Amino acid sequence: MTANILDGIVLGLQFGLLAAGLTLIYGLGGVLNLGYGQIAVISAMTVALAMDAGVPVLPAVGLGLLAGGLFGLLLDLTILRPVYRLHGEARVLLSLLLTLGVSFIVDGYLNWRYPLKSLSLYIGGGAIDILGVPMRRGSLVASAITLVTIAGLFVFFRSTSLGRAIRSVIEDEAGARLIGIDPKKMLRLILVLSGVLAALVALTRSMIAPVDTTSGLSITVFALIVTVVGGLGNFVGALLAGIILGIVSVVAADLIGSYISLIILLGAAAVTILIRPAGLLGVKE
Amino acid sequence: MLEVNGLSAGYQGNDVVHDVAFHVDQGEAVMIIGSNGAGKTTLFQTLCGLHPPSSGKVTFEGDDITGIPAERIARLGMRFVSAARHLFPRMTVQEHLLLGAYPHKPDPATMSIVLDLFPRLAERRKQRAGTMSGGEQQMLAVGRALMSKPRLLMLDEPSTGLAPLLAKSAYEALDVLREQGLTVLVTEQQVPLAMAFSDRGYVLENGFIRLEGTTEQLAANPAVRSAYLGVI
Amino acid sequence: MSDRLTRRAGTFLIGGTESHTSRSIPALLLPIIVVGAALALVPLWLGESRVFMGVAVLGLAFICYVIGFNVIFGGTGQLFLCVGALAGVGGFGATILADNAGWPILLSIIAATLAATLIGGLLSYVAVQRSLGVIFTGIVTLIFSLSFDALLLGLSYLTGGDTGRLIKSGTDTFLRERVPPYYLMLAIVLVFLLIHGLLRRSHIGWAFRALRDDEVAAELAGVDVARYRVYGALIGAAMLGLAGSTYAFTEGRISPTTFGFGHVDVVVLVMLAFGGIGTLLGPIIGAITFTIVDEILIDFGQLRQVAYGILIIVLFLWMPRGLIPTLGSLWLRLHGQKISDPAKSTDSVAGEQEAASGKAQSTE
Repeated sequence: MTANILDGIVLGLQFGLLAAGLTLIYGLGGVLNLGYGQIAVISAMTVALAMDAGVPVLPAVGLGLLAGGLFGLLLDLTILRPVYRLHGEARVLLSLLLTLGVSFIVDGYLNWRYPLKSLSLYIGGGAIDILGVPMRRGSLVASAITLVTIAGLFVFFRSTSLGRAIRSVIEDEAGARLIGIDPKKMLRLILVLSGVLAALVALTRSMIAPVDTTSGLSITVFALIVTVVGGLGNFVGALLAGIILGIVSVVAADLIGSYISLIILLGAAAVTILIRPAGLLGVKE
Repeated sequence: MLEVNGLSAGYQGNDVVHDVAFHVDQGEAVMIIGSNGAGKTTLFQTLCGLHPPSSGKVTFEGDDITGIPAERIARLGMRFVSAARHLFPRMTVQEHLLLGAYPHKPDPATMSIVLDLFPRLAERRKQRAGTMSGGEQQMLAVGRALMSKPRLLMLDEPSTGLAPLLAKSAYEALDVLREQGLTVLVTEQQVPLAMAFSDRGYVLENGFIRLEGTTEQLAANPAVRSAYLGVI
Repeated sequence: MSDRLTRRAGTFLIGGTESHTSRSIPALLLPIIVVGAALALVPLWLGESRVFMGVAVLGLAFICYVIGFNVIFGGTGQLFLCVGALAGVGGFGATILADNAGWPILLSIIAATLAATLIGGLLSYVAVQRSLGVIFTGIVTLIFSLSFDALLLGLSYLTGGDTGRLIKSGTDTFLRERVPPYYLMLAIVLVFLLIHGLLRRSHIGWAFRALRDDEVAAELAGVDVARYRVYGALIGAAMLGLAGSTYAFTEGRISPTTFGFGHVDVVVLVMLAFGGIGTLLGPIIGAITFTIVDEILIDFGQLRQVAYGILIIVLFLWMPRGLIPTLGSLWLRLHGQKISDPAKSTDSVAGEQEAASGKAQSTE
């Protein structure tokens, strides 16, 4: 059981970081990005292709992160332009449809062009003992990187003026505008940031299991589930929900089966929507 | 300093504010008074850039700022405190004040001026805005606006939701700021408060400017007296 | 979410108010008869090829799916992203009952259709009870879709898992021949069209239009929005279940992909968006067009998905009311007719006959 819980935490950290990116986009811009998983896959493929071309690991990883950020920027500059002209529910709906279309384009193209490509960042060395459970180095390195990133995000949002400015837009967009903060610029920044986060999750995931061109859909689905359970727009909620659902996912898969595990996660999201739409930590509107 | 000419604004083709013209000179305290529904809030929303005007011209320190969005107007040396206050509920007093100076680094001198002006804010530095009382929120909204060292401060109905004593002390704070050289424009429903504070004023009725003059002139005007000062 | 403006938001896809539709029965029957006659001729042309007839039957099944989705989404504005899953409840439910439990085919179909109907109604009821907006309804139904898919894969001893199952029942009947299934599905299509047409002309259809355009006003006018939403879902889900179960028996073999989200829901969405959301013949036009397009695209493998992605973007960006209605209003405008509400043109007798004749010409 301890092994399951530890594995669950490893997975949960990734879930959390993944959902954090998606939830920030929603909280700031009222936009649901269903192409999120594809950004992760694009980054992974960029790294894989770069390494194939002989680029050493670290610069390749850098390229992957860059690719993620750039794709986020691309989304903001193109597809999301017409979305911004709408507000409220119409905006979410259109963003949902358009990003779905984008995800199809990317998924189809990548699978057509690089059908069997996958990325695996193998971390060598023996297993390390944690609480009596031998953990693979890949899992530990991935978790460490994820934790550092999460900590970095916390510091960014709490202590930097830019981070505060972004939070203010989430809190009250009009209020932010009245003190000279441009919500559109902040949203652009968040889209780039979330792209980088998606890339990071893909890359750390590849230290544990291969990430290939077909992973996009499941990444998006998991991100969506965790985001919903954590509360749309709730950064801390996303992290918390991620860890909880990660543990649930691993334990359920081990005790019952992987399909049931997925259904349980999906059920958690449905239950959240029906009973507590604001999410785990949400405040009732 | 601020010049408005022929400004009209409204919603979905129907103007609520018609052909409004007024000006505010450096160092003045100017009021725009009117009853509920007169169009004060629409006028405010248009001036601060949250709502587009349908026609007219607005000039600030010589530059044409008509139709410029709020986030850009806020960087020109004007700050607006709306009746809704638009605070950030989960952020602390401290964070609000730090943000007020965005994108510049907050000036410690300005910060201490603001905290001297509103000691209650100093006491509640770590408190979240959402949990504060109406009067405290008002102070915070003003304090946040002041952090950017604006040359012109415009407030929409600062007395809204405040008990008489609090409203009075709000205006007292504005007086202090005036002495330090701040130009202030207020829209106000509670006319006596505004009159005690302002040098000059305009009367807004059904979206039109009906009267203008110095405070003394307006206070002496029989129409004003009967409509707004409760004098029969 | 209870803001009047945001309630209307979901309707931006469905377009403006539809006018009071013509009440005459001939106006309804004529296009249906024309469509039926035109489609009945298809086997004369394709009947020799089992492959092409299979595609044709699938095309008819999709017409049914699109009509069902149109009733739910076009009619009551509920974004049900579980079209494939509901059809799958019909398909898998009926075939499992027939094969594993030995039930007669007809009974299996009825039972499975009932199951789909109840599930659709339940989803709608829950969404209405919890006042879920368009987005959350979409997410909840998507969750159902994904869960159903996972269930199919998980219960592989029953469903054949990834590879699917062969259906023994009906093997020696007319259901597996080349041409008869086509006419069976066609009959179902025509019945669905009739139902949808009658629905639109009935007080239920009036209620649908009212609650779609302005929910608050509809409530004030005495329309029990909740009830009519559930009605719409029940009818639509019944259609999906029936179509799915009948199709399964004619096809002889089904797998989770047959009813999967990417395979059905996405395509149905594109078909409806193309043909015109909320219109009567939109589903026909959209389904036929994309059955043909899809067959052409099959050879392109994964690029087919790219094509669908582009289509979704183009359709929902520029022609949210549907390609055909947009083109229709453009055509009418070019010919000098002043249309204050373009949606009218597809509702009126002239509009439907025009659409029908346009479509009839293209299948020559």
